Amino acid sequence: MKNVKLHIIALVLVVISEFIGTKSFAVGVGSIVLLPMLYAMVLGVFTTPKFLKIAKEKEMDDAGSLIGLTLMLLMAKYGTNIGPTLPQIIAASPALILQEFGNLGTVLLGVPLGVIVLGLKRETIGGAHSIAREPNVALIGDKYGLDSAEGQGVLGVYIVGTVFGTIFIGLMASFLAAYTPLHPYSLAMASGVGSASMMTAGVGSLVAMFPQMEEMITAFGATSNMLSGLDGLYMSLWLALPLSEWLYKKSYKIKYGELPVTPAAKEVK
Amino acid sequence: MKLKESAIILLITAAISVIGNFVGYKVSIIEAIPGILILVGIALLGIILADVIPGKIPSVAYIVTLSTILTVPGVPGSAIISGYVTKVNFLALATPILAYAGIYTGKNLDSLKKTGWRIVVLSIFVMVGTYIGSAVIADLILRMLGQI
Repeated sequence: MKNVKLHIIALVLVVISEFIGTKSFAVGVGSIVLLPMLYAMVLGVFTTPKFLKIAKEKEMDDAGSLIGLTLMLLMAKYGTNIGPTLPQIIAASPALILQEFGNLGTVLLGVPLGVIVLGLKRETIGGAHSIAREPNVALIGDKYGLDSAEGQGVLGVYIVGTVFGTIFIGLMASFLAAYTPLHPYSLAMASGVGSASMMTAGVGSLVAMFPQMEEMITAFGATSNMLSGLDGLYMSLWLALPLSEWLYKKSYKIKYGELPVTPAAKEVK
Repeated sequence: MKLKESAIILLITAAISVIGNFVGYKVSIIEAIPGILILVGIALLGIILADVIPGKIPSVAYIVTLSTILTVPGVPGSAIISGYVTKVNFLALATPILAYAGIYTGKNLDSLKKTGWRIVVLSIFVMVGTYIGSAVIADLILRMLGQI
């Protein structure tokens, strides 16, 4: 915690990123928004031993142990946006709750694609059953073991999401807001599907494009993110995993003309 | 002394945030101090509550609940709290988090290298599928409710 060097690196990254500021690039009929937080993340990666070697192993470890705490101020701020908008949030609760089932879109798109197009096997079940955040990794670990094919799948998607997810969700929110008729409130709710930093990048891009909607966008994003935290595990366990297993068999039949050999799955305790 | 350490980290993050808030959003540091201290106070209270109340509810849940209740219109002092906290841009609070997250991400690069390209492609579809799935459902329901 007394790693002064780490905090100085973070401060310098923040000052540089905020100095560059939010940039929008006109692309076709819309525009793509790049936020300081995204520069801070990319620059942060560049300070590590693989690149500029400013941050060492110790800084990386300490940074990892701090992220949870540094998130808390932002979470407190989100609450102060939820409070004033509480009546609208409650009125929108059917949308907030039902959009949680959007997770099944992952399965419907990801499983056939993984098996038929990419030629993956049971990795697909672990990797495509959810957006693979911590609770999903824990669930797959418990059910199949993380050294199984399913475990490799969920860990792979988890890693890719950790490294690219924030930037990806930030860009996707801005892209969909610019090019589709989807309302910023709907995109704000969708931004809550993954981690808190993914959500922040998503709502950040939306707020940069629709500043007059800031309070509602952040409140919807934060509420959706909390809901995902509450129901994510059960959604995976009761709906997404059984659906993935079923769709895996169907896709396997289409691809290889026969049903897969039933694997010896570990019993759920 | 865990609480003291948490408080120090929160104050360091707060300091970096108000500096970023000044550089990026031109809000003077003095003007942002009451708001950021309110956020630090709420965060600490949430950490304490999670510690003393049984049930293993994470502190984040207490923090969001507390700050929501404190800013519901009509609650005594809510207008004052909202007024101060507005001075702290939420994007300025996010930038330090992602700076730390970026430094930590350096640790994941080796595992990323070991991940095959097929899993990378699958991951992209997973993110797109989840995001669009949720957005489309939310959009349909919000339209049905007449909220957008």
